[in-house]
Amino acid sequence: MGFLSTLLSLCGFGVGVSSGLVVGYFLFIYFQPTDVKDPVIRPLVEHDSESLQKLLPEIPLWVKNPDYDRVDWLNKFLEYVWPYLDKAICKTAKNTAKPIIAEQTAKYNIESVEFETLTLGSLPPTLQGMKVYLTDEKELIMEPSIKWAANPNITVVVKAYGLKATVQVVDFQVFAAPRITLKPLVPSFPCFAKIFVSLMEKPHVDFGLKLLGADLMSIPGLYRFVQDIIKDQVASMYLWPKTHEVQILDPTKAMQRPVGILHVKVLRAVKLRKKDLLGASDPYVKLKLTESKLPSKKTTVKHKNLNPEWNQEFTMVIKDLESQVLELSVYDWEQIGKHDKMGMNVVPMKELTPDEPKVLTLTLLKSMDPNDVSNDKERGQIMVELTYKPFKEDDLPKDFQESGTVLKAPEGTPPGGGVLVVIVHEAQDVEGKHHTNPYARIIFRGEERKTKHIKKNRDPRWEEEFLFMLDEPPVNDRLHAEVLSTSSRIGLLHPKESLGYVDISLSDVVSNKRINEKFHLIDSKNGRIQIELEWREAS
Amino acid sequence: MGLISGVVMGMVFGIALMAGWQHMMRYRSKKRIAKAVDIKLLSSLDRDDLKKICGENFPEWISFPVFEQVKWLNKQLAKLWPFVADAAEAVIKESVEPLLEDYRPTGITSLKFSKLSLGTVAPKIEGIRVQSLKKGQITMDIDLRWGGDPNIILGVEAALVASIPIQLKNLQVFTVIRAIFQLTDEIPCISAVVVALLAEPKPRIDYTLKAIGGSLTAIPGLSDMIDDTVNSIVTDMLQWPHRIVVPVGGIPVDLSELELKPQGKLTVTVVKANDLKNKEFIGKSDPYTVVYVRPLFKVKTKTIDNNLNPEWNQTFPLIVEDKETQSLIIEVFDKDVGQDEKLGVAKVRLIELEAERSKELELRLLPSHDMLKIKDKKDRGTITIQLFYHEFNKEEQLIALEEEKQILEARKKLKESGVLGSTVDALDGAASAVGSGINAGVGLVGSGVGAGVGLVSTGFGAVGSGLSKAGKFMGRTITGQSSNHRKSGSSTPVNSVQENGGAKPL
Repeated sequence: MGFLSTLLSLCGFGVGVSSGLVVGYFLFIYFQPTDVKDPVIRPLVEHDSESLQKLLPEIPLWVKNPDYDRVDWLNKFLEYVWPYLDKAICKTAKNTAKPIIAEQTAKYNIESVEFETLTLGSLPPTLQGMKVYLTDEKELIMEPSIKWAANPNITVVVKAYGLKATVQVVDFQVFAAPRITLKPLVPSFPCFAKIFVSLMEKPHVDFGLKLLGADLMSIPGLYRFVQDIIKDQVASMYLWPKTHEVQILDPTKAMQRPVGILHVKVLRAVKLRKKDLLGASDPYVKLKLTESKLPSKKTTVKHKNLNPEWNQEFTMVIKDLESQVLELSVYDWEQIGKHDKMGMNVVPMKELTPDEPKVLTLTLLKSMDPNDVSNDKERGQIMVELTYKPFKEDDLPKDFQESGTVLKAPEGTPPGGGVLVVIVHEAQDVEGKHHTNPYARIIFRGEERKTKHIKKNRDPRWEEEFLFMLDEPPVNDRLHAEVLSTSSRIGLLHPKESLGYVDISLSDVVSNKRINEKFHLIDSKNGRIQIELEWREAS
Repeated sequence: MGLISGVVMGMVFGIALMAGWQHMMRYRSKKRIAKAVDIKLLSSLDRDDLKKICGENFPEWISFPVFEQVKWLNKQLAKLWPFVADAAEAVIKESVEPLLEDYRPTGITSLKFSKLSLGTVAPKIEGIRVQSLKKGQITMDIDLRWGGDPNIILGVEAALVASIPIQLKNLQVFTVIRAIFQLTDEIPCISAVVVALLAEPKPRIDYTLKAIGGSLTAIPGLSDMIDDTVNSIVTDMLQWPHRIVVPVGGIPVDLSELELKPQGKLTVTVVKANDLKNKEFIGKSDPYTVVYVRPLFKVKTKTIDNNLNPEWNQTFPLIVEDKETQSLIIEVFDKDVGQDEKLGVAKVRLIELEAERSKELELRLLPSHDMLKIKDKKDRGTITIQLFYHEFNKEEQLIALEEEKQILEARKKLKESGVLGSTVDALDGAASAVGSGINAGVGLVGSGVGAGVGLVSTGFGAVGSGLSKAGKFMGRTITGQSSNHRKSGSSTPVNSVQENGGAKPL
């Protein structure tokens, strides 16, 4: 008997609970408002000390840390742009979701899935400080602290089997500390080739998920569980050192890597026109590649010769086969005054077939303007032999040279040895007593290399690379780097001056493979020199 | 019994559960909203807020200037500068060279960069201010300072002398750049950017010019010419209210709202001048007056020989784009062989004028517009002008806009065909055409300059002004011929209107 009544009461309890839940649902939850109101924001001055106390953990980083910068102007910008951005994002989201939804509804026999409301709310993301790091590498690193406590209202209505269900996302909050790295820096706009984004710590995510009006996230325990899952998921993808990479520029284009070498052999010219008053002209040929910053190349001058034979060979580096053009101009050499142009012509690089010597006979013109009437005049012809040798695919690194990765030494390096690469980047705050026209001198095992001179500059940039081929690793060697200045005038008083030097032990380079550092100069007030050293071992 | 009590117990339990859940929901929602409010509040703090939060321990390193400091941006810019400089050089060369061509003064046949390197010193952003002055627009002011070491060599070809390379050294730019972002609902949310230099504080661009392998004195007035060119470009192109409108993101939007538009017409009558200074050795000065609102549209009175109290009584219509910030500039010159000498200048701020009411002003002539450059307090005489400002209604505005477009286009055409040396020259021509009579214009229309004909029909009102406008385009050519200074002039077939002449190199 007692057993039966217990069983009955248990059954009753079960029925009661379920009906109670239903009643409770209609009593408490069903009539809860589903719309999202804009929060009332009181100015901070009106707050009492108690609510201020609650505020303290959220104090922006720029208040607490001097190394974070305030970015109120960006916040303001975001605030003004937010209403428009919100609409734009929602519109795009709706449009992209539509085809996906259409496909899915057909599959699962669902009548319709619709966004009832879709807005990200009135509160924009805020930046609570910005920090940048300076390294000696070609990269920009910044760490904004992003806090987005939004009041979105995203309601999705699903209709199936005559029933209607709503899913609503409210009060979405994300706090993240991403690191944005722009690298490598390249000399064409927007001046960087890739963006790397990674998170420095696990992000904080919080939101309300209402299913039929009931917030699942407020079930004790569930919120934490869901949050952990999200955090771990995101962390496994983006937590530093894992990064998300966005490519902005085509690396080869951006870096302007050479694609091949052009061998030019200037053979001869015939029937050149006389330009000098007395005797024949003194012709020479000038070669120039368009879009190239390298100086043009010249043949020797053949005195008093209107049919000169040069047979001189030159090599030029090709960076863009499609657009680069070789310009050949014949000049008349003069002892005094301007050299007269005797004629010119051009060869577009795309007309050449790789690895195939091509002899061209070009008619000399006054200018490349097809309408120029003076082009009809006979100016003679020039013969050249051109061979274009593209670099093999294997010669080229697939991706561009990541800083930090060490290349192998080229073939022909003795086993056990390698190549020491010294890149002299720049110097800062170098100052001479009498003149500051700095150049750098590198001495290694008695071998001396120099950079070019830069006139009147306290912060010269050289960006020059020197190679030293070695039989064994330079473990016990030192590299002597010195910044010198020569007088720009022919000054007998102070012809040369040292602006500072530094000796760098190379054993570190061998063990680290690569070092890129600013070294303080000895015998200089504040001078520093940035030198990159790399040890490439033979394989 | 057990069943009922079970059901009741269950009901109570279930309802309590739901009530608890609802309570949790409310609690958590409240918490989240409170946090959202806090974060919103903390995103823009001012001094008082911070004082309230921090109390005694107010961090001393924080300040709140109107223009917010951007140390981090400067750090990044310094690092990025060598790359930006490299990339910008090509862009600048491409975009500035045609500009130089447009504003090139007479007497110089070609103005090109033969070397352009922006140097190693990065510009510094002193501060940034963001505000929303108009709905749907964000105004960003960037206080920029650049004391750079660029190496800019201009290849200047003057009419008489061969090409001289001129080096621009010690360039210093202090200016506030205003960028206005027009917002839209489509990604990327910005449909256009308007860029201009703020007029107040006035942009300062300082530099020294140095001729390489020669002296600047080889061409008299050359350095003034370059100064003038730079000045006109800056004031007529970049300085507020003039602006550059850049559409973004390929969204087709109506940008006409953003463009500078004719707002009204200013009718200027140059009545007379008194007690002008004598600048000639023999006889007296031969004064004429140039008036303009924009340097691109200058007009000129006739020259009155040997008179220090000349009466011109000539009337010109000028277009006003922004009454609030623009000024009428009056310059009195002494007509001379070669370079004309400046007798004095005067300036009337248009904001001081009342619309639809005639006003006569007697202005003192000053040596220069730049108050800082004025050293002496010598009396240079006065000039009397009558001003009448008429505000355009919508239709008039459209007509004026159309006309302006056509003028510029016609000028461009003429320039391409090599008739005109430079666009600025055309204005002088206009002035001289106006000055010396309408028949010049008629003659030219007859000679079949299509552009000119088109303009005649759009007439500004009076037929006369329409005709003189037609003359505008050819006037300069003729001038060039009579003074024989420029190649373009000597090749023109029109020589029936010699009286038009009188070169006025700027």
